Amino acid sequence: MKRLIFSLLAAGSTFLNINAQIGEPFIHDPSTLVECDGKWYTFGTGGGGLISDDGWSWHGGAERPGGGAAPDVIKMGNKYLMIYGATGGGLGGGHSGRILTMWNNTLDPKSPDFKYTTAVEVASSDGMEDNDAIDPGVLLDPTTGRMWLSYGTYFGNIRIVEIDPKTGYRVKGNKAKDIAIDCEATDLIYRNGWYYLLGTHGTCCDGVNSTYNIVVGRSKNVLGPYIDNVGRDMLAGGGKMVVAAGDRKTGAGHFGRTIIDEGVEVTSFHWEADFDQGGRSVLAIRPLLWKNDWPVAGERFREGTYEIESERRGYSLELAVDFVRLNVPRQRGGWNQPAQQGEQPTLIGEQKLDDVKGAWPTGNIDIRIGDYMFRPHQRWTITAVPEAGGYLSNPYFKITIAGTDRALAATSKMEVTSVPSFTGADEQLWRIEQLTDGTFRIMPKAIPGKKGVNTVYCLYSIGDSTPTLAKYEFKSDNSKWNFKEYAK
Amino acid sequence: MLLGSVLGMNAQNPIIRNQYSADPTARVFNGRVYLFPSHDIISPVEPERKWFCMADYHMFSSNDLMDWTDNGVILSQEDVPWGNPKGFAMWAPDCVFKPEGPQSANSRLNNGKYYFYFPDAPKEGRGFGIGVAIADNLFQPKFVPQPTPIQGAMGIDPCVLQASDGNSYLFWGGGMIQVAKLKDNMVELDGKPERITLPKGFVEGPFAFERNGKFYLTYPWVRKDGGTECLAYAMSDKPMGPYEHKGIIMAEHPNGCWTNHHSIIEFKDQWYLFYHNNAYSPSFDKNRSVCVDSLFFNADGTIQEVKPTLRGVGITDARKAVQIDRYSEIGGKAHIEYHDTLNYFLGWKTVLPKGGWVKYNRVDPKSSSAQNVCVRVKTTAATILKLQLGAYATNLNIPATKGEWKEVNIAVKAMPQGVNDLKLSNIGVAQAEVDWITLTESPREQYFTPATAAAMTPDKDGFIRRWMLLEPIDKPNRSNTVFVDTYLREQFTKEYFPGQMTVLPKGGDKVTVDGKSLTWHALESTRFNVKLFRFATGLEKQEYGVLFWAVTVIDCPEEIKDVRLAAGSNSASMWWLNGEEVLLLSGDRRMVKDDGLSPRITLKKGRNILRGAIINGPGMSDFCVRFIDEKGEPVKNCSITLK
Repeated sequence: MKRLIFSLLAAGSTFLNINAQIGEPFIHDPSTLVECDGKWYTFGTGGGGLISDDGWSWHGGAERPGGGAAPDVIKMGNKYLMIYGATGGGLGGGHSGRILTMWNNTLDPKSPDFKYTTAVEVASSDGMEDNDAIDPGVLLDPTTGRMWLSYGTYFGNIRIVEIDPKTGYRVKGNKAKDIAIDCEATDLIYRNGWYYLLGTHGTCCDGVNSTYNIVVGRSKNVLGPYIDNVGRDMLAGGGKMVVAAGDRKTGAGHFGRTIIDEGVEVTSFHWEADFDQGGRSVLAIRPLLWKNDWPVAGERFREGTYEIESERRGYSLELAVDFVRLNVPRQRGGWNQPAQQGEQPTLIGEQKLDDVKGAWPTGNIDIRIGDYMFRPHQRWTITAVPEAGGYLSNPYFKITIAGTDRALAATSKMEVTSVPSFTGADEQLWRIEQLTDGTFRIMPKAIPGKKGVNTVYCLYSIGDSTPTLAKYEFKSDNSKWNFKEYAK
Repeated sequence: MLLGSVLGMNAQNPIIRNQYSADPTARVFNGRVYLFPSHDIISPVEPERKWFCMADYHMFSSNDLMDWTDNGVILSQEDVPWGNPKGFAMWAPDCVFKPEGPQSANSRLNNGKYYFYFPDAPKEGRGFGIGVAIADNLFQPKFVPQPTPIQGAMGIDPCVLQASDGNSYLFWGGGMIQVAKLKDNMVELDGKPERITLPKGFVEGPFAFERNGKFYLTYPWVRKDGGTECLAYAMSDKPMGPYEHKGIIMAEHPNGCWTNHHSIIEFKDQWYLFYHNNAYSPSFDKNRSVCVDSLFFNADGTIQEVKPTLRGVGITDARKAVQIDRYSEIGGKAHIEYHDTLNYFLGWKTVLPKGGWVKYNRVDPKSSSAQNVCVRVKTTAATILKLQLGAYATNLNIPATKGEWKEVNIAVKAMPQGVNDLKLSNIGVAQAEVDWITLTESPREQYFTPATAAAMTPDKDGFIRRWMLLEPIDKPNRSNTVFVDTYLREQFTKEYFPGQMTVLPKGGDKVTVDGKSLTWHALESTRFNVKLFRFATGLEKQEYGVLFWAVTVIDCPEEIKDVRLAAGSNSASMWWLNGEEVLLLSGDRRMVKDDGLSPRITLKKGRNILRGAIINGPGMSDFCVRFIDEKGEPVKNCSITLK
């Protein structure tokens, strides 16, 4: 038993470096991620928030006055609208909640322009009604330009009100409408003709035992009814799971959605407890997938050895080396010969790296795409390179032929090759992101001869058998890849 | 109030309305006001001693001086190692925060401790000692008393001044007012006490503070021989004096309440005076109640006299009961009366005869679409009340209520948003008595109506809305984390009252559980979900840490086979059909439609008794129940009776 525990711990520790956002990502009720002057920001309960230069490494330092719980923030033109609950949600303050909005020209507390306007109240609860006005989530409806706010907790109903996007004030004469029960820390999003209400269900603030989880209902009308996948109204407690506990983390709460590119989305939320960080409440960023117009959080990308399969043809990324046949005698009498009684089938060994490596050139080897035959030249080991930084959701990875140091690299001619050994150069670092349809895009951190961090060009199937670097297009399967775990 | 809307309290005087409270020391910590009063009680000692009697301290707190939370008992006389556990001498306290070591300017963390100073009678000997109890925080604080009282400070009414010179000074009373510097440890005197020279006459209850470099010593003072206490003040350039008497902050209580005792704070750019009177005990002035009013300084630093008001401070949230008996002006023969002179805590009503009016300043409906006025009113004939909010005016047609209290909702044109003075005038003929008034967007939701004998089926979705509900059984779980299957099975199957699993009670029937009499109520839910939280609060029963029993009868014209009970509950629940357990919803649950379903069961022809028990810690308790047939359709061809 001792040995088993040891090996489990050891297995856990090898993945620590990509287990969560790094730095000090400690936060509760993170607001939707928002970018300001090249940095990412998120704001939490209590007052402060986190800042990240690259989206992967997060540190304290963001500032929001007013205290209270669970803010949300949205960029409006070149200004930022901060929305927050001024009270604590029942903790010593009863259920008389107030939601306030305020503007800032920047989120950077070091900027001379950093100054919040005087906060104005846009919604409140009187302490007795079925609502506690905290936990706002904001939506700017892309179809109408109107701004909506959902808010509330388990103390009664989740409500929606309309905000004037120009002023941040409540629209005059607007009446609050009830849209859900049984949740808190809600958010509204819009996609593809549907409005979605994301709510946090389960139990908060109980550390490793917190059952917090994020559920969703959708509606064709922003005012509801928000219906779940079995036709149940969120006003009757309905909700379909978006993210639950797992991966040594419990208590997913306070959904936010960030669109990075067409078809590249992430959800941000917090874990009530990360078992690998002493059970602290941490920021989580996961790919956001869409299945039949329902959002679902993808898994974090795991290091491992994979086939890299093109979505275009289903062929596999490989070294352009000789295909070495396996010399296994064909079955006696042909494929249709009945097996003899008691005869055990022979196990056929797979081709090993050492069987073929010797014949490979020692310099750069070209990359192509071919029929997947689980051969050594098609097995890729993907390893995080934490010191290289990261982006929203992941650190940069190196992609090497399993058992070797031969690494996938971008070239100055906008092609891909493999170099005999990984040097840490930016063109050998890869950004891997899961797309909303579940496939992945793979981008070099940099392309020799091109300035700065690359966020445009990805590994691309220009032919069934030919990879290159080309502009990422969500519409084209040429931009997409799948990672299939190499069978052991 | 029964099953009506229970309305919380706005800041009107007195501010603590569920118990007596006196000698209020208010302090501001981290932007929240904390109130540390004495807790007057009626002497439990036989024969009743008609004197000051205080056994413990409650702490109250507020973000806005309007909504006050009772944070519960923070120290009892039994907890004080050196105190007499039956002394009933826990008089006026104080509480201060002292940071530990240097604080960084932007630190939000309280690296320090809260020091609570209180007088108490010692175990042996006479007089009073002054104790200190220390807590790390004020969120569910644990104040741990020091083993001994402060040496060298015999007396009452401690007050700590944390001066800008970095020192803390302890002031106290007891025939005179004394002061001594406190050591850095806050529990020992640093040097000898000094007596402060003040004008002739009895003084006690010192409260010292600093403003614009001046030190203020304020105190209750009997300025006339044989008189009662007013509040006076003196000023100095130094914390320990000498203090120069300056004048009066508040005159003697006009009703003869002998004591007054106070504190002064600045909160959100306004100064406030906390003090007490005997509003809830008009015939015995040792049971007192805390009030608050605004206080103003003159340019030269002297204090303007404060006239006590009923109205108190702040802007009143008009969605909640505006207690117009706490008026700012009154006229036309309108007057106030106690609701019940046997229970003064029920407060006052306003009697508005023809031509009578009250004005109540600074109310805010907090909405740009407030279109409903609700008045809790008692009349014998219809009348008209004119409601004015600034320039806005509307007439409210008040029906005859046959001498009963009734909540009357009246739709009106949208009322102005923002702060206005409210005036209510009787422009009809008949007299009206008004308890309170609210201004809201819509009529406040009614969750239940009394069950009738009328035929009733499940609702359109099959939910059962007619129930017999038992008042909550005390089950003081502070959290729902204990609701594991084993615990629930034990709690749901244990006998609380005879016939628990067989009885079909009638509305008004009573059972006794743990010595407490609980009543069954025959009700119909206005929603598909039965809001037990509102059932409890509507009856002014405890709403958290409770177990509810619910019973109903499903009368089927035919046997219905292979149905399932479909239930959702907040939190855990157990259900029995005709005495057989059919479903347990365990864990910390929320009320979700069709959360759990029973195995296939049979609804027999005729009467079927469905019984449920629902348990909850904190949070809103409710449940929803229906039967689903084999095709997944709700069962509706039955009637719901309570017989």
